[in-house]
Amino acid sequence: MGETDFDVQGFARGIHELLVLSSLRGEPKHGYQIAVDVEAESNGLFRFRHGTLYPILYRLEEEGLIRGSWSKDGGRRKKVYTLTAQGRRHLDGETDRVGEIVSRLMTILRIPGATPA
Amino acid sequence: MSARAERPFLPTLREIDRALAVSIPERVAILRELEFDLEELRARLEAEGLTTDEARARALDVLSPDGATLRELERLRTPVYVRLTRGLPGDRLRVIERAALALATLSVLLIEAGLLLDADLRVLSPYIWLVLALGALLFATIAGKAFELWIRRDHRRPERGLVAILVLAAATVAAGAGGAFGDLYMLANRIEGGGAPASTLAVEWLVRSCGVVAVALLIALAGGLAWFVLAHWLALVSGERRNLLGIDHNAHPTTR
Repeated sequence: MGETDFDVQGFARGIHELLVLSSLRGEPKHGYQIAVDVEAESNGLFRFRHGTLYPILYRLEEEGLIRGSWSKDGGRRKKVYTLTAQGRRHLDGETDRVGEIVSRLMTILRIPGATPA
Repeated sequence: MSARAERPFLPTLREIDRALAVSIPERVAILRELEFDLEELRARLEAEGLTTDEARARALDVLSPDGATLRELERLRTPVYVRLTRGLPGDRLRVIERAALALATLSVLLIEAGLLLDADLRVLSPYIWLVLALGALLFATIAGKAFELWIRRDHRRPERGLVAILVLAAATVAAGAGGAFGDLYMLANRIEGGGAPASTLAVEWLVRSCGVVAVALLIALAGGLAWFVLAHWLALVSGERRNLLGIDHNAHPTTR
């Protein structure tokens, strides 16, 4: 991976998308459940505020990585999100990529003067 | 218990509805999902020990979109047509849209004329051209409205132009009926002037007037059907929005 390939802002934005995908790995969830679970699983490190969760959900839905479906609960209609097969593949690939980036970063931070291979 | 007390997030939903510039069905979907999530999160936080006010404030902080998020939602919900034409200046785009509509209308008019010119011109009422012109205008109005609602998805003034469809459909019927009377007047003049036998002229008038009235009725029927589809769809989506926002059904449905 060359230095010019790495987009820091895109990486930060992508982390939230990965957190959403990861949260849906186990079971389908409503939007609020995703927000609560991401915050709980990261011990409050990652938290959604001001509705920023929804643009992420709609973007992932548009890209076919998750699927939103409506159902009725009494008189109320609710939307639940499911991870698609494409989303699962994307999540696996991106998890490996993030692991590699973090590993290189740690190498730089821990060994003074070291440069990634 | 009042509807407002049962739905504590209604003022927030109304505020977002005013600030969010997307089509009515998309706005309804966003607000419906948001309300469910807000209520569920509030209930969950209350169950965890927060007071009602704290839970409400926390749910709003997490899920209620701020200005930047609303703009992002609008960007994501931008219709395909608007995305494709974003590069064009507004004035130029309007000119192109109007030219395309005029071209489509002209094509319809030419097809109608072509079909009629295949028929025996002696049995055509001269008023048929007026009926066809009104029919083309009706087509342009319907096409313009359908384009605005379903392609450009601009729902700022959704009911604008719907009455014009009915007025044009009625005008087409009136032109057809008026044409039949006009032909009758001409028939009387010709009978008075002598020449062809009255019975032959009467049959000719019958064919002419039936033709012009039938064409006018068909055009008006098509216009009425298009109006019904557009108005019914609009009533459906506007009704859903009003129900969601707890708005009086007699209120004007104009939205941003």
